[in-house]
Amino acid sequence: MAIVEAPDTGSEQLALTTGDAMASPADSLGVFQRPQGDTGWQSWLFTVDHKRIGIMYGATALFFFLIGGIEALIIRTQLAAPDQEIISADLYNQVFTMHGVTMVFLVVMPIGAAFMNYLMPLQIGARDVAFPRLNAFSFWCFFFGGVFFNSSWFLGGGADGGWFAYAPNTSVIFSPSHGMDFYAIGLQITGIASLVGAINLITTAINMRAPGMSLMKMPVFTWMSLVTQFLLLFAMPVISVALFLLTFDRIFDANFFNVAAGADPLLWEHLFWVFGHPEVYIMILPAFGIVSETLPVFSRKPIFGYEFIVFSGIAIGFMGWGVWAHHMFASGIGPISVAAFAVSTMFIAVPTGVKILNWMATMWGGKLSFTTPMLFSIGLVTMFTIGGLSGVSHSIAPADTQQTDTYYIVAHFHYVLFGGALFGFVGGFYFWWPKAFGHMLREGLGKAHFWIMLIGFNLTFGPQHILGLQGMPRRTHSYFDGYGFNFWNLVSTIGAFLIALSFLVFFANIFVSRRDAKKPGWISPGPDPWDARALEWMTASPTPSHNFDHQPVVTHRDEFWYRKYGETDDHELVRIASAEEVAHTGERTDVHLPAPSYWPIVLCLSFPLIGYGLIFNLGFAFVGGMITLMALYGLALEPVDDPDAVHGPDEHGSGDGDAVAVGAGPEEEASS
Amino acid sequence: MSRFTTARARLFGLVAIVGLAASACASNAQQTTLEPKGPSADKINNLSNLTFLIAGVVFVVVEFGVLFVAWKFRRRDDDDDSVPEQIHGHTRAEIGWTVLPAVILAFLAVATVGTILDLADEPEDAVQIRVVGQQWWWSYDYDIDGDGVHADGDVNQPGIENPDEYETDIEVATEMVIPVGTPVYLDIESRDVIHSFWIPALNGKKDAVPGRTHHLTLEADEPGTYVGQCTEYCGLSHAYMRMSVRALPKDEYDAWVEDQLAEAAAPSSDLAIQGEEVFGTLCASCHLIEGTNDEYDGATQVSGAAPNLTHFASRGSYAGGIFELWNDVDGDGAVETEEIGAEFNDNQLEAWLRNPAAEKPLAPNASRGNEFGRGMPDLGLNEAQIDALVAYLIGLE
Repeated sequence: MAIVEAPDTGSEQLALTTGDAMASPADSLGVFQRPQGDTGWQSWLFTVDHKRIGIMYGATALFFFLIGGIEALIIRTQLAAPDQEIISADLYNQVFTMHGVTMVFLVVMPIGAAFMNYLMPLQIGARDVAFPRLNAFSFWCFFFGGVFFNSSWFLGGGADGGWFAYAPNTSVIFSPSHGMDFYAIGLQITGIASLVGAINLITTAINMRAPGMSLMKMPVFTWMSLVTQFLLLFAMPVISVALFLLTFDRIFDANFFNVAAGADPLLWEHLFWVFGHPEVYIMILPAFGIVSETLPVFSRKPIFGYEFIVFSGIAIGFMGWGVWAHHMFASGIGPISVAAFAVSTMFIAVPTGVKILNWMATMWGGKLSFTTPMLFSIGLVTMFTIGGLSGVSHSIAPADTQQTDTYYIVAHFHYVLFGGALFGFVGGFYFWWPKAFGHMLREGLGKAHFWIMLIGFNLTFGPQHILGLQGMPRRTHSYFDGYGFNFWNLVSTIGAFLIALSFLVFFANIFVSRRDAKKPGWISPGPDPWDARALEWMTASPTPSHNFDHQPVVTHRDEFWYRKYGETDDHELVRIASAEEVAHTGERTDVHLPAPSYWPIVLCLSFPLIGYGLIFNLGFAFVGGMITLMALYGLALEPVDDPDAVHGPDEHGSGDGDAVAVGAGPEEEASS
Repeated sequence: MSRFTTARARLFGLVAIVGLAASACASNAQQTTLEPKGPSADKINNLSNLTFLIAGVVFVVVEFGVLFVAWKFRRRDDDDDSVPEQIHGHTRAEIGWTVLPAVILAFLAVATVGTILDLADEPEDAVQIRVVGQQWWWSYDYDIDGDGVHADGDVNQPGIENPDEYETDIEVATEMVIPVGTPVYLDIESRDVIHSFWIPALNGKKDAVPGRTHHLTLEADEPGTYVGQCTEYCGLSHAYMRMSVRALPKDEYDAWVEDQLAEAAAPSSDLAIQGEEVFGTLCASCHLIEGTNDEYDGATQVSGAAPNLTHFASRGSYAGGIFELWNDVDGDGAVETEEIGAEFNDNQLEAWLRNPAAEKPLAPNASRGNEFGRGMPDLGLNEAQIDALVAYLIGLE
């Protein structure tokens, strides 16, 4: 098959093919039948398809990115010149807190989740994640947690204690609005999403790999996702405990952090950073995974030092637990503690440096094409290096006592999280867009996006290194004339608006490219527009709901690439098959898929109700609790898939309910 | 074409960054970390410079390395579409670039640990000052008689067993005065939330955590005023919680101590006498002026404290260090020691007394869970009262 025809609409192509897989009422235990249909809004609300959930994670995160971005522009407008009070100190404190929390918990983490949900099952040749309904539950938890948190803007004001929420400044006496209540409960809800998602994706990666895909044949992105999920599995309980303590303190006067009652505020700092530092790696490792996929494709070479890339990721995952107190060098912990954490922090730079050098070696000797995803990936390597080096300067604890809580830190972590994670994610959007939606994003606009963003980013955060070293503290709503802060703040503000412009280009690109794909005469890029390497490119584009027409059998790392290229007799690598010959057509419709479910969204809808109840009136919490109970019963008792629904021929004896079995079709014939 | 742009733009970016770094030492950056003026800050700066040097070399090598590789291995226009050699790795190279950074970092680690332990030492024969942070100003209690007990007007401070032990030493606000060339050993505490004490020219920062006492050593090599501000986010007016250290030659410092130990000056004019009466009826419930309202048991504030005003007019600034009490006579943008007492900045003080919350973000009213305010309330003073108070306060030299 040569070139795939254009889909009429994206949603139809993405649709579930199990519309007829409904239970007959006589067999069902639950009150309601499973939802059915593969088009329209219901097919999104009740979906359990990992790809739709991934897309919803991405779309929701981009929406929150707009909110967080507007908050960033408000911050930069206020700080454009000295002595400005365009917004009050009170509002500024809310805006910077909401900006930080939004970007960390509602943008970077869920964009990572979007990629992991969409790609992990595809990269390991699976039909879905291990627990599809739990996957939907995770997404809706995140969604309603984020909406709940942001609803504070309309209910008395946002959180004003900083994303780090140091006690006792977050107690009711010092933060009397309900903002911090929304923070504590909202993050608790999104935390459930991360924790459940971690269990789901760890199980998926460990149990659901296609035959032949040993752990050391897994694509690097899946490896980094697996490490990330383990970090989440152990980090989320810590912040959950801390947030419960804060919630009980604020709502029930529990006195966990009340100094007058004998509490030590350093307890919160430790709890927060025991979570908070692994959190940094939770945010960056998926992006490391993304560039480890894109750099080889656009260098036309395999990843250099696969084992070292993988094990350095694992090493970061372990060492990430031993460095948290480097956020507390000025907090008054003793000199031996400071020295120990300084040294451990320095050495976490080693596995990170190994990754950077392996990426360089991946490009070495290749044939590099500077497509948009490649530009963003090189952007990550170069920009993250700056953030990594400023990170080393923080690990020098005495130097950090000059740098901490200044703009030098703001510069550092934006080079890591924007220059690192976000550059990787945006590159990932451009790279996998055709896989998810069947059409490319325009390259010209993509490159414009990259260059404007690169320049804007460096103008915004580069000067903040200088501001910090000149002594400008962070989290200040204004600054005085006469401290040498004026010029670089203005530059930084101009840069911030350039970043905003670059994302306008991005959103325009999404719109324009989508319109292009609907024009008559548009030619589909096919399943493999980049001559890629990993298994996800073997599915049709956009990926059909059943993923693979039949289960692939894996013999190589970069399995897909080795089906396209083989060795001649004199050991020369040559193309032996076109992508279209190797890739699946996506036409098969008899793969057994888990049925959609009403209950994940209903269950998650009850959590914000409990939250509003705790804050405003316990009556709501009672209603919310009742809905929780009802939804749990609904989940437990809803009818399983109709056993008579259409299946692949070798299907039975394996999965039912949520436990999707690995087998999705007949063993395929070896293709090369 | 894009590959040319790639390389050129990146080169430009690098040049720009180096240029930025070079211009970091702006002459008007009075709060900079890059110009140490005392031994502790010097030690930190030496270590920072070493780190920046190493990081700078790594930066140039890696960034130019990436650009070079991207340039050298770009796909040419005449590419024959053959597959480049599929290199999967090189174990010796991997071991090399794992060990090399580890060795560099081990070198830095030795220097770092040494400096950490060095800076943690308590100096001998140091001036002992207790630094207390509260929303949104700093107070300094000097243990002048060396009995280990600091002066403190605030006897409601948790942990104080016997208020009678707090004989009068010196208690000042916002501006710390220290002798040049003598180490000053700080006990840093907080009365409400976490703050952080930071004078970048003299040392790194140290958090003031309620319920704990942390220590920091300051020493200034030369006379001068060294500014800083609170660097742990402490709520509403965090940006306006400033402080400074005024280092004086030893003899001037001794004279300053002598002056501060005295009780407040008696009002010298009719207006000032009226001002003292206003103070007694409206201000004395929170502020202490020794010799005027010694019957004092803490401010009606969440922190339980308000600045001691006994020698108010000897200071350069007030309200958390954000307003100058004296005009900048020579117009150089800073009020130096010589300018204190020269030309009184009466407009600002009047505005402050008229309605403090209009001049600085404060939360002076009771709120949820809290019967007290945070920050100076609007006392509803009329203009005559304000004039009288100003006349009284400016006489408190």
